[in-house]
Amino acid sequence: MKTLRALFLRLGDLFHKERRDRELAEEIESHLQMHIEDNLRSGMTPQEARRQALIKLGGVESTKESYRDRRGLPLLETFIQDLHFGARMLRRNPSFTAVAVLTLALGIGANSAIFSVVNAVLLKPLPYENGERVITMQGQAPRAGIFNVPYSVPELMDIRAQNRSLDAVVEYHSMAFILLGRKEPERVLTGVVSWNFFDAFGVRPLLGRGFRSDDEQSGAPAVLILSYEYWIRSFGGDPTVVGKTFTMNDRLHTVVGVLPPLPQYPDENDVYMPTTACPFRSDPMMIADRTDRMVSLFGVTKPNISVGQAQADLNSVAANMQHAYPNVYPANLDISTRVASLRDEMTHNARPTMLVLLGAAAFVLLIACANVTNLNLARMVKRERELAVRTALGAGHGRLLRQLLTESFLLALAGAGVGLLFAENGLGLLVSYVARFTPRAREIHLDGTVLLFTLAVAVLVSVISGSISAIDTRARLAGNLKEGSQQSTIGLSRRRLRNALIVSQVTVSFLLLIGAGLMLRSFVKLQHVDPGFEPENVLTMRLNLNFTKYDTDNKRRAFYEALLDKLQGQPGVVSAALGMTFPLSGIDPMNNDFTIEGRDSAQSLPIADFRIVSPTYFQTLHIPILQGRVFTRQDRQDTPPVAIVNRTAARHFWGTQDPVGKRISTDKGKTWIQIVGVVGDVKQYGLDKDASDEIYVPLVDSPVMGASLVVKTSVEPMSIARRIIQQIYAIDPNQPAARVESLEQVRADSVSAPRLTANLLGLFALLALAIAAAGIGGVMALSVSQRTHEIGIRMAIGAWPREILRMVLGQGLVLTTLGLVLGLLGAFGVTRILRGLLFEVTPTDPLTFVGVGAVLAIAALSACYLPARRAARVNPTVALRCE
Amino acid sequence: MTDKADVWQGTLALMVLKTLETMGSLHGYGIARRIEQTSGELLSVNYGTLYPALLKLEQEGFIASEWGVSDNNRKAKYYKLTRAGRKQLEKEAQDWQQTTAILARFLAPSEES
Repeated sequence: MKTLRALFLRLGDLFHKERRDRELAEEIESHLQMHIEDNLRSGMTPQEARRQALIKLGGVESTKESYRDRRGLPLLETFIQDLHFGARMLRRNPSFTAVAVLTLALGIGANSAIFSVVNAVLLKPLPYENGERVITMQGQAPRAGIFNVPYSVPELMDIRAQNRSLDAVVEYHSMAFILLGRKEPERVLTGVVSWNFFDAFGVRPLLGRGFRSDDEQSGAPAVLILSYEYWIRSFGGDPTVVGKTFTMNDRLHTVVGVLPPLPQYPDENDVYMPTTACPFRSDPMMIADRTDRMVSLFGVTKPNISVGQAQADLNSVAANMQHAYPNVYPANLDISTRVASLRDEMTHNARPTMLVLLGAAAFVLLIACANVTNLNLARMVKRERELAVRTALGAGHGRLLRQLLTESFLLALAGAGVGLLFAENGLGLLVSYVARFTPRAREIHLDGTVLLFTLAVAVLVSVISGSISAIDTRARLAGNLKEGSQQSTIGLSRRRLRNALIVSQVTVSFLLLIGAGLMLRSFVKLQHVDPGFEPENVLTMRLNLNFTKYDTDNKRRAFYEALLDKLQGQPGVVSAALGMTFPLSGIDPMNNDFTIEGRDSAQSLPIADFRIVSPTYFQTLHIPILQGRVFTRQDRQDTPPVAIVNRTAARHFWGTQDPVGKRISTDKGKTWIQIVGVVGDVKQYGLDKDASDEIYVPLVDSPVMGASLVVKTSVEPMSIARRIIQQIYAIDPNQPAARVESLEQVRADSVSAPRLTANLLGLFALLALAIAAAGIGGVMALSVSQRTHEIGIRMAIGAWPREILRMVLGQGLVLTTLGLVLGLLGAFGVTRILRGLLFEVTPTDPLTFVGVGAVLAIAALSACYLPARRAARVNPTVALRCE
Repeated sequence: MTDKADVWQGTLALMVLKTLETMGSLHGYGIARRIEQTSGELLSVNYGTLYPALLKLEQEGFIASEWGVSDNNRKAKYYKLTRAGRKQLEKEAQDWQQTTAILARFLAPSEES
């Protein structure tokens, strides 16, 4: 209690310093006068009286000093003093300060930015109330190489009824429907969900209400919930949208709510509807068919149930099903459910890249830190006399250490401030980059946690850099107030310390450059992958027919035929085709098992991607025909069914045999499909993914509801997009087209994640290179200026300027080489973590290693060249006199 | 320096408090002289150390100070005991007596046996 009171009084005393000082002076003066008077009375001379009084007091100034120590808070006061002094020192040395602050800002800013990503994506709990309890379920048959299989409704019912580990099992699937009632027909991505889907995640609507159980009763009026983004984009955030009605699938749908701005998972949908509103999902055939798998499942674990326990529970459910329906689940397929936490599912794509970037940012900081320490050491040489004087005047080592730490803290704090500005500016780009990996990207902000992290980094940096220079300074300060100390006493150990810092900078830069170089090489390789098709001058767009209008195969066939006929011969159109998918579109094909004529399919279980295309598809995308023929207009629904296989499937299923003329069946031999041709492999899923087994079948045989239009153009594809959409409207004014993109754009987007990763790592590496080169140059310049005298002597006794140049460059080269060798050793260990991110480049790619080594060596030598040339131009007479 | 002062200040504080109890209100010089006189000139106070001790007591709320005029018409800062100071004095005096009593027993065992 009383210490607290004292603390407050002392804190208060910090502020009326002058008045308190005056009072103290008066008090001591009156004390002295009284003492002197007493002494005079006892017969002393006036001088003696004063002298005795002062002796007895023990010195006016030291009394005041100890009084002051007691009065304020000396620690705080000296800190403030140090801050003032430090700020003055930094102001007086603007170029040093600017370079140091900028260096630290780059290092700290990079870390703050990347940490804001790591914090939002990997550290923070999911933004859903039940987020940590939600699990995802996926069907799989690993032995057959099948993953990510959705579920059928009967399977959902079984899991819901039989599990013992979940509070709720909810379903989800996404479809594109047409929404009418706004100015133009709009294709809306629609999440079709169980009524309690949002309750399971713990998401409450921003406006209106969520779904209720009676919304999912069969025959219930159709209702919609809008996603926040769609609400803002299409309705400008108008709150009166709740209660409005729109027509979808020939039914009136009422908007009942709007979702809050949270990341959507698994897809970013425009609207959500309960399962009963979806014409496919509510179809009695679909509900009854155990093999019609179209829904994804999510579960909410019961309290204290782990993912592993839920997995075990669902394994036993799968075993039950296998037992009950042996026809549906062949024993040799070994179908099971893979359970994962929602958190993992949402972030596992981002994790490796984000951690690599965090590591890279830490490396940049390390280099920045080493550089600032070196700058500091260089500055200490000039301040050595100042510090020596202060030591001689009685400043303790602790006091000096505190002073130096305060100065580097000021630097780091300024660096952190500027760095946060950098981070803030780069955050938009970073968010759109991270969005390619995880839906959590939108949660990235420079929030309190990031600010705290930044502050912590600043403190760490100042402690490291400050204490290295302080310890170094202290080591040589004792009794070092000699004249000429600048020349004579820069001990060997300081030079060693500086050199070590340089070597470490080179080492770390090398590691970063190698990382960036590998990613870059990998990206270039990716760019040069032959995709198996020609993306140039191809326009793509997605059509989803209104299935209430196009409710028969014939109607759909007619629409597609009319569309292709209309487009053929349009100015600018070379050829037009339809496909259920197109390469790199991200649309999943159908994945079916089939029977090969004359083989026991139960044993071999052939499975392939089935892609539905119109005859001109191969010509439009320039997919080479290797054998046989492509589909023609003579292949009709009433002619014998035909198919085309890709090269991989041909090799895989028929080996050296010619597949043309062979027959397959997708209905266990009821009908046979003849293979009429073999086409080249196409990178369907990504330029870095190998082609899978593919079988193309004609659109006339399976006129699907959702198709993509691909148009080869003779002009810039986007320039005729509008005209092509007009042609669609000419056939059906209520038929929208969506995702209008050039295929080049689609291809560029498919590699944008590795491209941006390479760019970001490259940026970090260039920063590191620049900082390290500046560091080497700076240290060499300092060393030259300290050795001016020595160089003068060398030249006076006959050294040629060229020899001096070589000497200085040689010194730089030794340091660089040492750093390179260490970096090389480190790289063999470190680059292994990049393996998963690289495409057709080994982590020890010799070309990258040699190239990066050369770049670094050249940069380092160029940095040394300026000081070396200055050394070579030293005038011996001036140098010898400059003592 | 601080080490010595702390040990010293413990007893110095007690002497200051006792002096102020006896004398009422008194200035710094007066307190110093009084302590010397009371100790029979055995104790030689370094007057300089008195002022930080007075400040500490004041901060802790045991004494209060105000400016006044001395007998010789000199402006001086006068200190006097607060109520908390009186309590503190009582407590510390008791503690001190206990300590000295214990120490006395330790130091004079031969007389008792």
